[in-house]
Amino acid sequence: MCDTDRGELNVLQQELDWVLGEEVPRVFTQVMQVLKECCVHFPVPLCGSDTPIKQEKFIMSTAAHSTQDQVKCVVTITGDAITQADINMKAAKHQNQLHRTSVTPDSPWRIQQIQDAGNFLQLAIQFLQGHGCNNTFKTSSEILNVLGQLIKLLQKGRSSLLIPRKKTIDELLCSRNMKSLTPPLPGDIAVSFYLQAHKLVLAVYHLSSVGGTMKFESVQAECSIPWLSPVLVCFTTALHLTHQLRDKISVFSQFKDFTPDSCSVSTISC
Amino acid sequence: MWGREAPTHDISCILLTPDVHSVVTGSRDGQICVWDFDPPNLKLTPRCLLVGHTAAVTCLAQGGKAHGTSFIVSSSENGEMCVWDLRDGQCVEMRRSANLHTSMKAYQMLNVSDVRLFCCGNYPEILVYDPQSLDILFSLAARIQPDWISALHILRPPRRNDEVVLGVTTGGWVKVWTVSEREVRPREPIFEHESKMVHSLNALGLVCCTYNQRTVLMVSQEDWQIYDAGDFSQLCRVCGKAGERWMGGDFLSADRVIVWTDMGRAYIYKLPTNCIVESRAFHNKQMEGDNPILYGVVRPQSEEQLVNAPAWQFMTIPLESGAEKLLLRGDCEGQVMLWRLADVSDNQLRQINQVHPFQPLLFPPTLTHSMVKAWGAMVPPPIGILDQLEGERGPPRITASLFLPLQGRLACGREDGSIILVPATEAIMLHLLHGKHHHYHNWAQPMVLRGHQGRVNCLLYPHGESPHYDMAHLVSGGIDFSINVWDMYTGNLVHRFVVQAGQVLQLLVPPPTCTTRIQYCICSVSEDHSVALLSLKERKLVLLASKHLYPVASVKWRPDHDFLLVATQDGSVYVWQMETGHLDRVLQGVTAEEVLGACDEHVAGHGGGASAGADSETGLANPAVHLFRGLRHRNLAAIRHAAQRGIQQVLGEQNNHQDIHDSSKMRTCPLMIQGLRTNKQDANSHVLFFDIEALIVQLLSDEYTLMSPGTLEANELIMSSQYQRMNDLTHPASPEAAKKIAGEAERGLGMG
Repeated sequence: MCDTDRGELNVLQQELDWVLGEEVPRVFTQVMQVLKECCVHFPVPLCGSDTPIKQEKFIMSTAAHSTQDQVKCVVTITGDAITQADINMKAAKHQNQLHRTSVTPDSPWRIQQIQDAGNFLQLAIQFLQGHGCNNTFKTSSEILNVLGQLIKLLQKGRSSLLIPRKKTIDELLCSRNMKSLTPPLPGDIAVSFYLQAHKLVLAVYHLSSVGGTMKFESVQAECSIPWLSPVLVCFTTALHLTHQLRDKISVFSQFKDFTPDSCSVSTISC
Repeated sequence: MWGREAPTHDISCILLTPDVHSVVTGSRDGQICVWDFDPPNLKLTPRCLLVGHTAAVTCLAQGGKAHGTSFIVSSSENGEMCVWDLRDGQCVEMRRSANLHTSMKAYQMLNVSDVRLFCCGNYPEILVYDPQSLDILFSLAARIQPDWISALHILRPPRRNDEVVLGVTTGGWVKVWTVSEREVRPREPIFEHESKMVHSLNALGLVCCTYNQRTVLMVSQEDWQIYDAGDFSQLCRVCGKAGERWMGGDFLSADRVIVWTDMGRAYIYKLPTNCIVESRAFHNKQMEGDNPILYGVVRPQSEEQLVNAPAWQFMTIPLESGAEKLLLRGDCEGQVMLWRLADVSDNQLRQINQVHPFQPLLFPPTLTHSMVKAWGAMVPPPIGILDQLEGERGPPRITASLFLPLQGRLACGREDGSIILVPATEAIMLHLLHGKHHHYHNWAQPMVLRGHQGRVNCLLYPHGESPHYDMAHLVSGGIDFSINVWDMYTGNLVHRFVVQAGQVLQLLVPPPTCTTRIQYCICSVSEDHSVALLSLKERKLVLLASKHLYPVASVKWRPDHDFLLVATQDGSVYVWQMETGHLDRVLQGVTAEEVLGACDEHVAGHGGGASAGADSETGLANPAVHLFRGLRHRNLAAIRHAAQRGIQQVLGEQNNHQDIHDSSKMRTCPLMIQGLRTNKQDANSHVLFFDIEALIVQLLSDEYTLMSPGTLEANELIMSSQYQRMNDLTHPASPEAAKKIAGEAERGLGMG
């Protein structure tokens, strides 16, 4: 093996040592800060913190592109649940009939997405505390494992806010939440609250059977929830930081099988 | 053909079946390995590898046991649940659910014929499944502070005929449900009848002592605690050492616990007096100095650092001579360890305590086995497909392989950058058949293509996908960032593309409905998150899509709109115009999902393009996807067609002559070779598929082509007049029936 190759390998080894020794702890601290910041914005206490449960009131209205307000709703959100909501809607088929119902504080409508995101965030923080911050890594495969697991948690947390879980009409109609609406809605109307990115959406589905097949029309009302934006930004930043670190390390893992002494010439001259 | 190296098996969960005859291990790459266990001789043998999950296996549980069968249920990180028959390794049932399970417990309820699976995970309930059909039977929900259940334990108190389910939420609320078969109503959740806040965040294990049903062990990453099951007051708490995190534990006896960590050790403690039910001090607050005494350390003789946390299982097997206590550990190296934990009497314990400085007892493993060991013990060693070339020791690993049915050749890319083309049947004959041919010396020399520096990651034969491409062209992508186009017949390097700044991970062919220019392109996915379209005809880069922040998850096509869609791992979708190279838009969240979904529908609607659509799914990391793509793409289509044709022939639905004509087009090669590996770092193993029917057809048609139609008729090989008569007699009752039967046949095969 010629000297230039050996020199290059030595430099590579030094670079890897630097990334593992300096860059990894730096990025982990950064990610931790971002995640802690994320916690602060959540409306429920996380990681044993005693931030008070926030209560906020919003007015939801039909999305801008439709001409008239078919659905109107005033919601009060306490923590991860809708504790009070007054829903007024006009059924699409019979325009002049107004349906009115409400969510009452004694049977709140929980938004599972908030809890899911919070739990994933909590898991990520705990994982980072356990594995990241005061751990020293010697090999790149070790750190890639840790990063892989962290990325999974962050990804799941983020997408639980971005992508609401799909439910069938049947599931909606039979849900506990639907049943606890007062007064109850007619059997052909289903409602659903969900988060989608930084918005809270109320979807109303009106079922009708045309020639034996079930069809439904849906109308939506939405409002933006202020705390969701910073939470999503934090999730995205943390995810981005971890991915960047993983990319940096996976450059070295191309050489993973080779210690400086055993590395063949062909693999390093690429 | 496994090859000389054992496949990677990074164990994420382990299960010893209650009959103690098999050990089942699930891996982080999605495979499940079944090991035969012979308890008297303490022998473990890996028997089969179950491939099917497309993500890491998170938990395993014993399945139904009706009719003397042995099933297990596995659940993966992306919500797939499978039921496997342990006898032959078949997947009997498969479900995909939105609920991701982190733990499954099989439990035999009173007055119920089979076990029930109690599952918890990333959803705020406990779901109870039927282990055969994987239907949800009922659920346990929470009224107060509903949250994910992070650990659960089921027990039946003495003199009661209902079960008590203990669960602890991620936030640290302990909940108690009582379940009896009589009270179960579908769709109506059962609510807890007690709940209490304790100090445990994201508990990993919850076990109630089987000896007294009074004390509860709760393990979380930072500590383990003992609670009184009566009122859930904390009796004692032990924190972990730095750098070591608790993973779970169990009771060895009423006053001893074993707790294990992610560093691959388990510790045995004697509990202090306030945790022992019989003692007068029971339930008192933990006193200063009255701590659990660590007296035993369970660890392998030589400890190497584990890259990933191991999987553990503790099991008590009742025997006549007293209970046998077994502890199993499966680690990231594919290694399984078993400890038979002997009881330590109080006397011995006192002796240990008197020795200064205090030395805990060491428990070395009773049995250690691993994939690597099993491979090493094989005589002769498992064969690889290219072993005939490798007289020398330590040949370079095969890192990519591609079967070329047209040429009957197998292309193998290797770690050292060479690509080897061998005649497939000859290569296999040498290994699988014994006979005279072993002494022949006139075997065709394999063709060696040299041009890559370092590992060859992927191979593609574009002509095999679509006839637009040059028949001679073979394309390879390597770790050295380059894509080489070879002339397969001459062995020359036709062109070398170096356009991306990372190793080439995958090569794809665009669907045939693209514009003329794109039809001559291949698509390459690189580690620098870019996707490139390279025209083989112009030898030019057509599109370099390189704005992606995250690794590419999948590539899809909208040929009608000239769009290339790149989905990245964060869930966003980049829409590129192929002809102009413009980034049309970037989609996120729900819209991104819908657009991707629409692509699939679109492709499926086209019918003919279905295979192309399926092919463009990447599944970079996953071997199961590769394997199934191979199956789906070639053999299964043929098998399905064969089944359908057979039934149609019986019913005489179609014109026979035309159908035979169709099938000859449909017929693929009687032999298929598919590369298989369990991990990206591994060498390729190879799976050979023999399509017996195709083989017969080929042999016969070879023979008959030599005869004239007259001879055929004379030999009663053609009976067209009789066919006609049969046709009239058995006119199909309904064409749907034929399809249905064919569909059933296909389903049966699909599971296999």
